[in-house]
Amino acid sequence: MSASGIEAHGLAKAYGEVRALEALDLAVAPGVVLGFLGPNGAGKTTAIRMLTTVLKPDAGTFTVAGIPHTKPVEIRQRVGVLPESAGYPERQSSEEFLRYHARLFGHTRESARETARSLLAETGLTERARSPIGGYSRGMRQRLGIARALVNEPSVVFLDEPTLGLDPSGQRQMLGLIRQIAEARGATVVLSTHLLAEVEEVCGRVVILNRGRIVADGTVADIGRRAGAPRHGRLQVPAEATARALEALRERGVQVAEDWRSGQLDLALRPGNTDENVRAALGALLDAHIPILGFELDGGRLSHAFLAMTERG
Amino acid sequence: MTAVALSPPRRAWLSVARQELRDLWLGGRALGLLLAYSLLLSAMTYLTATNSLLNFLEQRESVNLTLQIGVAVGALLVLLTTADAISGERERGTLESLLLAPVQRVDLVAGKGLAALSVWAAAFAVAIPYVWFLAHGVGIVGVALAGGFIVGSLLALFLAGLGLLISSLSGSNRISLSVSVFVLLALFAPTQLPAGAQQGWVGDLFIRIDPFSSSLHYLGKVVVDGHGADQAASWLLSPVIAASAAVLLALGASRFVTLRGEAPS
Repeated sequence: MSASGIEAHGLAKAYGEVRALEALDLAVAPGVVLGFLGPNGAGKTTAIRMLTTVLKPDAGTFTVAGIPHTKPVEIRQRVGVLPESAGYPERQSSEEFLRYHARLFGHTRESARETARSLLAETGLTERARSPIGGYSRGMRQRLGIARALVNEPSVVFLDEPTLGLDPSGQRQMLGLIRQIAEARGATVVLSTHLLAEVEEVCGRVVILNRGRIVADGTVADIGRRAGAPRHGRLQVPAEATARALEALRERGVQVAEDWRSGQLDLALRPGNTDENVRAALGALLDAHIPILGFELDGGRLSHAFLAMTERG
Repeated sequence: MTAVALSPPRRAWLSVARQELRDLWLGGRALGLLLAYSLLLSAMTYLTATNSLLNFLEQRESVNLTLQIGVAVGALLVLLTTADAISGERERGTLESLLLAPVQRVDLVAGKGLAALSVWAAAFAVAIPYVWFLAHGVGIVGVALAGGFIVGSLLALFLAGLGLLISSLSGSNRISLSVSVFVLLALFAPTQLPAGAQQGWVGDLFIRIDPFSSSLHYLGKVVVDGHGADQAASWLLSPVIAASAAVLLALGASRFVTLRGEAPS
């Protein structure tokens, strides 16, 4: 692992009797956009707070951007964080807020001003730069939070529920910003969110937490496969060939739903064996010289895997 | 954006103090407190100078009474300001952003404490004309102002430390303010003891131990009785110790400046 990613070994945290996180082992390479998923209470925020040194772990060690957990000030100097449900000083303007935080990260007065203005432009807040934050919408506050997370040119960025409470358009804007952070800045991004479709779009790797433990770790495709989530195939064949197609499929042991319609057959694919099932189904039709007008595969989305893995736990 | 190599700020407490000063004064909170303070002092000065029921007081006693109120209420304003300093951030959800900055928590506490002391400085500045008005006739303007400044500054330091300590440990602003006011009333209580209870070595000890009683006693000695500052200095022992201890405790308790106000494990 390069020095600019994240490495954690055996991170654990309990709040009284409640174990928020149990022995988290995690290694994230630099430049990766990691989707950090899990149902409410899975331990995502606790993990992020520990990795950003806001909370002390009960056990375990970690390094962020190559800096060991024993140097929390140095870690904070290198990370940018959008905390979950962050509050903002209502009377300050966004420019003042960013200048202040830039100063806390060691910027000079001039570079703090320049950084604030540049980030306000990047997050589309320039027009409201001098207005009190109290009058900002939820989306504007989230964008301001992202700007604050970038005041120190971080090499690792943690975004905890950045799209929480945003409308679909705000969510799209936010995801565009996240892409920009990852691509233009080359930062490692840890994205905790419940928007699984967007994770599929943005994240190169996904970790799913449930009840304080990692239950899945890999690419979206890996996780979908490993989750063994039920999948369905939808075949379209010429209407007059429906009966022949049914016969050919059943001969190869492919399960076809009983409510088939003329020209359209729904296939139930066995979990964990999807590729083989698909090959068998398509092979059966091709061998029987039945034209395939269309084939759709669904059920293998991250959302299905997420539900399968978190409900199972 | 210009890429700059950043390192943690050396004097982060100064940046925190500057921002806190801006929030306090430009945000209007300190101005509101100061306005109320000015009204109280105006009323007190007017009454002691003109009211026939109150103006039986000897002029030096009038100065002392106004000065005591100015000092006590000015220090109280510092307590009210610091009691909100950490728990307020915690309650408004703004503490996490501060904790994510590469600064030591002791810098956050020190910066906020320094900014809160500006309220005392402003309160003292407001009190100057009132004290001058009452004291110039008996020629004790300098003594009264010097005594008031020393005593008020010690009490302000003491209450700043106390407020920060309570605020760091409190989960909510309501708890922090309630506990602070309760502690303040407990400290004020000995000043209201009947004269009989203040007699003898036990009474004397009681007054000397309590920083409030001791401070106000000091003012009485130098303003009313005309004692020299060195003669009355022993009455400042308790406020000096209390102020030092409270400031050290507040800085030490910066480890409790966490999201929940609990000790880090």
